[in-house]
Amino acid sequence: MNTQTSQQGTALIASDTAVSTPSEAGIPRQWLGMFAEVHQARRALVLAVQLGLLALIVRQFRIESTAFLQVCLLAFGGALLQEAIPRPHRLSFFALLSLASIALVFGLRQGALIVASGLALIGICHLPAAFRVRVLVLALAAGVLAALRLDWISGPWSRAVWPILGSMFMFRLIVYMYDLRHETGPKSLARTTSYFFLLPNVCFPMFPVVDYKTFKRTYCDVELDRIQQVGIQWILRGVIQLILYRVVYYYLTMSPADVTNPGDLGRFLVANYLLYLRISGQFHVIVGILRLFGFNLPETHHRYLLASSINDFWRRINIYWKDFMMKLFYYPSFFALRKRRVSERASLVIATLVVFVATWLLHSYQWFWLRGSFPLTWPDALFWGILGLLVVANTLHESSRGRARRLGNRKLTVSEMSGVALRTALTFCFICVLWSLWTAESVSQWFSLWTSAFENGITAQTWHALSVGAAAAGVTAIGASPGARKPQQSRAPGGLMNRTFVTTAAIAALFLVGHPRVYTRLDARLATVMDSLREQKLNRQDAAMLEAGYYENLLSVERFNSQLWELYSKRPAGDANLRDSGGMRQIPTFLVEELIPSLDITFKGVPFQTNSAGMRDDEYTLDKPAGTRRIVVLGPSDAMGTGVLASETFASVLERRLGAHGGYEVLNLSTSNYTPPQHLWLLEHRGFAYSPDAVVLVGHDDDADRASRHLATVMSRSIEVPYQELREFAERAGVTAGMPESEARRRLKPYSDEIVAWTYRRIADLCRERGATPVWVFLPFLVEDRQQVDEALKQHAASAGFMTLDYSGLYRGKDIRSFRVAEYDLHHPNVAGHTLIGERLFRDLSSGVISSRLGLDGRNDSTKGLP
Amino acid sequence: MTKDTLGTVKEFILAEFLPGEDPNALTSSTPLITGGILDSIATLKLVGFLEETFRIQLEPHEVDADNLDTLAAIERLVARKGRAT
Repeated sequence: MNTQTSQQGTALIASDTAVSTPSEAGIPRQWLGMFAEVHQARRALVLAVQLGLLALIVRQFRIESTAFLQVCLLAFGGALLQEAIPRPHRLSFFALLSLASIALVFGLRQGALIVASGLALIGICHLPAAFRVRVLVLALAAGVLAALRLDWISGPWSRAVWPILGSMFMFRLIVYMYDLRHETGPKSLARTTSYFFLLPNVCFPMFPVVDYKTFKRTYCDVELDRIQQVGIQWILRGVIQLILYRVVYYYLTMSPADVTNPGDLGRFLVANYLLYLRISGQFHVIVGILRLFGFNLPETHHRYLLASSINDFWRRINIYWKDFMMKLFYYPSFFALRKRRVSERASLVIATLVVFVATWLLHSYQWFWLRGSFPLTWPDALFWGILGLLVVANTLHESSRGRARRLGNRKLTVSEMSGVALRTALTFCFICVLWSLWTAESVSQWFSLWTSAFENGITAQTWHALSVGAAAAGVTAIGASPGARKPQQSRAPGGLMNRTFVTTAAIAALFLVGHPRVYTRLDARLATVMDSLREQKLNRQDAAMLEAGYYENLLSVERFNSQLWELYSKRPAGDANLRDSGGMRQIPTFLVEELIPSLDITFKGVPFQTNSAGMRDDEYTLDKPAGTRRIVVLGPSDAMGTGVLASETFASVLERRLGAHGGYEVLNLSTSNYTPPQHLWLLEHRGFAYSPDAVVLVGHDDDADRASRHLATVMSRSIEVPYQELREFAERAGVTAGMPESEARRRLKPYSDEIVAWTYRRIADLCRERGATPVWVFLPFLVEDRQQVDEALKQHAASAGFMTLDYSGLYRGKDIRSFRVAEYDLHHPNVAGHTLIGERLFRDLSSGVISSRLGLDGRNDSTKGLP
Repeated sequence: MTKDTLGTVKEFILAEFLPGEDPNALTSSTPLITGGILDSIATLKLVGFLEETFRIQLEPHEVDADNLDTLAAIERLVARKGRAT
């Protein structure tokens, strides 16, 4: 051990156990050195155990991504290894680790591009020129990067690089330049490199705006052990928040269209706000990791769910952002106004408003670098506007009457505690409401949410639910109020050692709870929940929306739904939907849109052609050739063959297999985004013209929802509904022509099941009338938890008279991901997937009753050995 | 001078922001900004007080935890600015 580490060890002992100096205690120096070594070894061992368990938890719960696990291992290993590195070189070591993490996640080439771009920007900051000139050059460089971001000019960057490069530089450059202007101390390349390429940043496009001056000031400003232990606590806290986020996301969130009463509304509002747990969880983990390397950064969030006023909320949530705005906008505005002899109160008001306008614009600026769009929406403007005005009002109140502050944790009286609890509960409710406005697709959708919730008044059941909710909120607020907690000293009687023990025990407990061997011994339902919490996936609602292409053009997905956003961010550049690729056109009929006939474009990287009738298939005559049997296939984009050639779709595979027996044609009328009512119309008006012998209708587990959603779309666009029964459903639901789509969707949702059942019946009836055999095939999506058939749907199909083929087990025992057309695409099979489906379909159609109708009796021998 | 600065500022903070609190609990190292005692409005009030009382002029970039987080830091700031003026 070198002298330096020995001295540090001494300091650590002193800090923890208040050991007297050697001369005072008369302890020989070598003994003290030995104590220090033992202490340091014990400390390193405890840290290794803690980090090892945390790594296992990250792996166990698949926290964030595979890349995050790799970065965690790199960071945790680095944190342990740094102990062996002399203190003056530790910052350089951290900088190197940060650069290594970029190469680890992005590979050498893209990683080098990120680092080179970053170093170029840092270089501009330090050009030997006047400050204004450097700012100008930086603005020019940002302009070039913006042009690259918008694909106005092409660059060597992959699409995935932008969010990370953006998150590293978009705000930190501003802070850095601001501090550089006033900095007088020596510059350090290691510190600057560390600051911009901060180790865990490579996994987090959403990253706290770390202040450079704080970053510099707090580096190893107290004993490393203390900084690290708080870091470990925060990582644990962050991981717990990320797991809780999954509970909220998988089990509590609901679609605005599902809100039909005040109870639903309450659940929607609370769950919608609690989705923020993901951001606060990530920020805890990020700063926790940084603390492992001695960056004694302050917390990014401080119990924001327990804010007791709007100003308190602003102070507690995303504290780094608030500090950034104070530094860059609030204080400079206030000082400038004061210089112009504006009164103090007016200066406070104007400076506060400047902060909120800037926050609104900078959020859009942030999304520009993350997603390439600059969204300025009404809900956004209203959110920041209302929040800004309320903070101003609160500021004026506090400026004239003051704000209660306390030193230490003095116990509150019962009346004070009740006051805090009440204010906390009210603030929480208000923020939930305001948050719902922010995250709404539009202001009209937000109003529709409220009208639908209170349409039927408030029932006794709702009052009961509300009172239980209010009581729970009150108890929570009281329990968490400052006065209810024990004073700081008594909370940690044993100091650092005790806190370390408690943290380690908590980490171990979380690891055990998350271990299958433990939780599978518990209640079966709990085990299922734990299973679901161990993976990151889309919830059912988002997966359905994604399948319908619903989110393609919505800003909200980019801004608020991090789960979907991540999935979308993996899409390659120019990966537009079929509509945007020029493959579909809007039509003012019940179909709403259709494939453009005689197309020849590239879609999802493969040639995409349609025949003269607008089918993704070869040309067919209307008259069926003599001796030929025809099968019409109807389905959405997976059946149409998104991402594969027309000759590779399962319809083509089936046709080839049948072709071996001569005289079969399989006509693929499948169209992207089509729903059962559209299939009905298409079959009736186009499909039957080809005189099919069988009609294969592809069913998915979300058919009912999609059927009612289509009816809502048609009604909202005032398009005539050609079916009396569907018009009656709309009438019963109170849906009128021209009604906002979100409102129509919400009203029709309860009728989804009836709508799809009727549609199936109608298709089957028409098939029988035309002498075609109706076949319903359930195809699961390419995600593990959506492999089971919806029994109700299957029953509807069977009752309607369809021959039902349930392919629930199609991917059983196989790696589902290997059948996806792309990693991010959960709905479209690749060539292997289509082959699997086509072969299975051939086998099923070659056996049973239908085989004789199709003239395939006894021809399934060739399918032996197929899956 | 040092004792005066610290005591004067402490008195102001206690009277203005911490009425009724134990003066002994406010030490020269009690975190004021990072501890949540000084929010933005309180910070600006303190700045106004420092400028008026000690006849110094602060700049926006000086209004941060580096300079105002503890009584000791405030004392250093006042001394530095006093020398500069």
